[in-house]
Amino acid sequence: MTHKKDTWFTVIVIAAILAAFTVADFFNEERLFSATENRVLTSRPQFSIQTFLDGSFAKDYENYVTDQFVSRDKWIRVKTGADILMQKKLIGGVYLCSDDYLIEYHEPADYPSSMQEEKLALLKTLVDRWDAKVMLVPTADNILTDKLPANAIYLDERAFLDRAEEVLGADACIDVYGMLAEHSGEDIYYRTDHHWTSLGAYYGYLAWAQANNMEPYDYAVDKMQTVSTDFYGTLQAKTGTAGRADNIRIFPETLKRPVKVTYDFSVQKTGIYEESYLDTRNQYGYFLDDNHPFIEISTGYRNEKSLFILKDSYANCLIPLLKPHYGKIYVMDLRYFNGSLFPFMETYAEQGNMDVLVLYNCIHFLEDFRYFQ
Amino acid sequence: MIFSSVLFLFRFLPIFLLCYYLVPGRAKNIVLLAGSLIFYAWGEPVYILLMLFSILSDYIHGILIGRFRGRKAAKRLLVSSIVINLLLLGFFKYADFLIGLINTASGASIPLLKLPLPIGISFYTFQTMSYTIDVYRGEAKVQRNFLDFAVFVTMFPQLIAGPIVKYRQVEEDLHLRKPDIEQIRRGAMRFIVGLAKKVLLANNLGQLWNMIAAMDYSEISGLTAWLGILAFAFQIYFDFSGYSDMAIGLGDCMGFHFPENFKYPYISASVTEFWRRWHITLSSWFKEYVYIPLGGNRKGLARQIFNILVVWMLTGIWHGAGINFLLWGLWFALFLILEKLFLGKILRAVPPMLGRIYTWLVVIVGWVLFELPSFDAILGYLRAMFGQNGVLFIDRRGMYLNAEYSILFALAVIGSTPLVSRLSAGLAQAKSGGAIALRRVLEKVLPAALLLLSIAYIVEASYNPFLYFRF
Repeated sequence: MTHKKDTWFTVIVIAAILAAFTVADFFNEERLFSATENRVLTSRPQFSIQTFLDGSFAKDYENYVTDQFVSRDKWIRVKTGADILMQKKLIGGVYLCSDDYLIEYHEPADYPSSMQEEKLALLKTLVDRWDAKVMLVPTADNILTDKLPANAIYLDERAFLDRAEEVLGADACIDVYGMLAEHSGEDIYYRTDHHWTSLGAYYGYLAWAQANNMEPYDYAVDKMQTVSTDFYGTLQAKTGTAGRADNIRIFPETLKRPVKVTYDFSVQKTGIYEESYLDTRNQYGYFLDDNHPFIEISTGYRNEKSLFILKDSYANCLIPLLKPHYGKIYVMDLRYFNGSLFPFMETYAEQGNMDVLVLYNCIHFLEDFRYFQ
Repeated sequence: MIFSSVLFLFRFLPIFLLCYYLVPGRAKNIVLLAGSLIFYAWGEPVYILLMLFSILSDYIHGILIGRFRGRKAAKRLLVSSIVINLLLLGFFKYADFLIGLINTASGASIPLLKLPLPIGISFYTFQTMSYTIDVYRGEAKVQRNFLDFAVFVTMFPQLIAGPIVKYRQVEEDLHLRKPDIEQIRRGAMRFIVGLAKKVLLANNLGQLWNMIAAMDYSEISGLTAWLGILAFAFQIYFDFSGYSDMAIGLGDCMGFHFPENFKYPYISASVTEFWRRWHITLSSWFKEYVYIPLGGNRKGLARQIFNILVVWMLTGIWHGAGINFLLWGLWFALFLILEKLFLGKILRAVPPMLGRIYTWLVVIVGWVLFELPSFDAILGYLRAMFGQNGVLFIDRRGMYLNAEYSILFALAVIGSTPLVSRLSAGLAQAKSGGAIALRRVLEKVLPAALLLLSIAYIVEASYNPFLYFRF
């Protein structure tokens, strides 16, 4: 008799699970947007005879029910938890590393030497024409190697940078790799985001000053100011793990003088930091208002010299540190610029005494660096 | 629609089962037919006409063959039924393959048809052929009830990936079936186990294989290559046998008794044994309807070898229209013939472990032929596997992947042996109070846990964080 009862019990439990989620899903409200995934979820597709017959309705509808399934975020957490339990170290293209670090995985085969040579040749033209300095920042996987899982694969950026020095000449290159490697025990990269921290940028700044034979400004590392204690970056979103919140810190010295920042030739601001981003998921946008095609900064320092930066988002937290050295800083994101670069730069160089700096992390450089002369 | 989807588990299945259990006796077949047609039409709205044509054709052929049984006309009708089925299959599955062959051989450039393959056509044409052949042979009664016959062909559990059910195996079930609660429980469990095999093991190992298959074979280490093809070997086994489990389980829930399709093939100690354990319903179909009619082993050794070659070429291209599938079939034919000639005797004399290693090697190399589409890829991959591509056999990537997937592989190895089912059988027989208590808890907890975990993996499959703040 107990056997029969047990049998019924099992069948009822299974049926109940299916029924419960079916009914719950039926009453589940449709979400337009998933904050955890940071994307618009598929919404109910329009039915038409044609989309039904060619099968596209079926496909869209399946995406729709999966995207809108009840408690979607919780299911995803269960799955990630199971993966971690199975000792998986690479989740969503991100390594789960020791000390709660999340470090992005870059497949070396995606950055073949042909690609490296092509990008370096393009950069060489720019360096030769403008006598530019080049700062290619290594990504966390190359510097925090002791935190990576055993035998983890990463692109050898040391080798790439050595090659860059051969192509561009040692004078053009700023050795930020060596500087960061020396400080690899400090918080120079965020735990949950792919960027370097303000402290990491500070060491980049020291390397920059050294390469330019300049006396660095006296920023006090022990007086850094914390502006956020709950930053969860892109890597946390990619893995769907809980993650340990990062702090965002800045050097208070960068707030000393009033600055004038002009975004995209139109919007004027009086600060280089944008508080409003600290209430969003994209807290790194705090630095220089996230991404802009072109920014002009009047630093408030009396200085005849100007600096023209071609950059990725790694530069955003380093640029504030450069203020004392220049009267004007021009910041350009080449991803948004389709015109001829050199004539455009010329119009700023004419105003006299302009330095040029190329600042990318190695990966962004290989993926995104391009321009038309 | 596939079983391992939110749509099937939380839309189709609950609604279908509710209707199915609510309607009385004979009406159940109407619900089953309607459900199956909706299931098929969901992905293939146009090709449903093809399936209906196939049903009608063999329904009529069956009746006519029955009427003329014993006369010459019956034979002609049988030939007509088989030709129609093979033409359907040939046209939709092999036309482009043949056109391609003709083009390469003659230098012509006949345009390809590029028709999408109707889902399940390889399965349902074989099922309907088994019906007309059995009726002709007098091994099955003529089915005059169109509904029952249509249910036999369209039944959604095994419609798209088998097992290939012979008509006489379900003849009685089609008419009358009364599942008791024990069969329903068994079916539900079987379905969940199949779902977990597919979602937890096959899909995840498939990711590893996809990653390695996309690499440059002249640069991968032996270790990586072996991990890749082992991942594929387990992927295809758990995918296919998981699907069969789900089909058999769903059948049980409705009172059907579908034939087994897999019996732990990876523990086989010879290739002959492997094919008695792998995709059993296909091998037995070919054996019954091709190999034995050709004379089997009754007409001398030379004829037997010829018969084996024919059957295995057919088995090969049944799996897909491509030279590599043909090669794959012939590869197995070679070892089956060797085992018939002398190898079998040797294998019976040596410890079974040696036989297993030999079988694994044959099967693994077979999967390389099966899965890689070009000769270059096949040779390149084999070179990597056997350390002939000039790369260190054990490298950093291989060691990393080995660690990353070691638990999954361990679960896959355990899952492809009868270990778990033996343990549970042992537990079921145990008489001690502790064992009984343990069994009762496990029986209640495990299916629910496996089901929930599988759902999590299914929902996560569309997890796709969009990082607009990429920079």
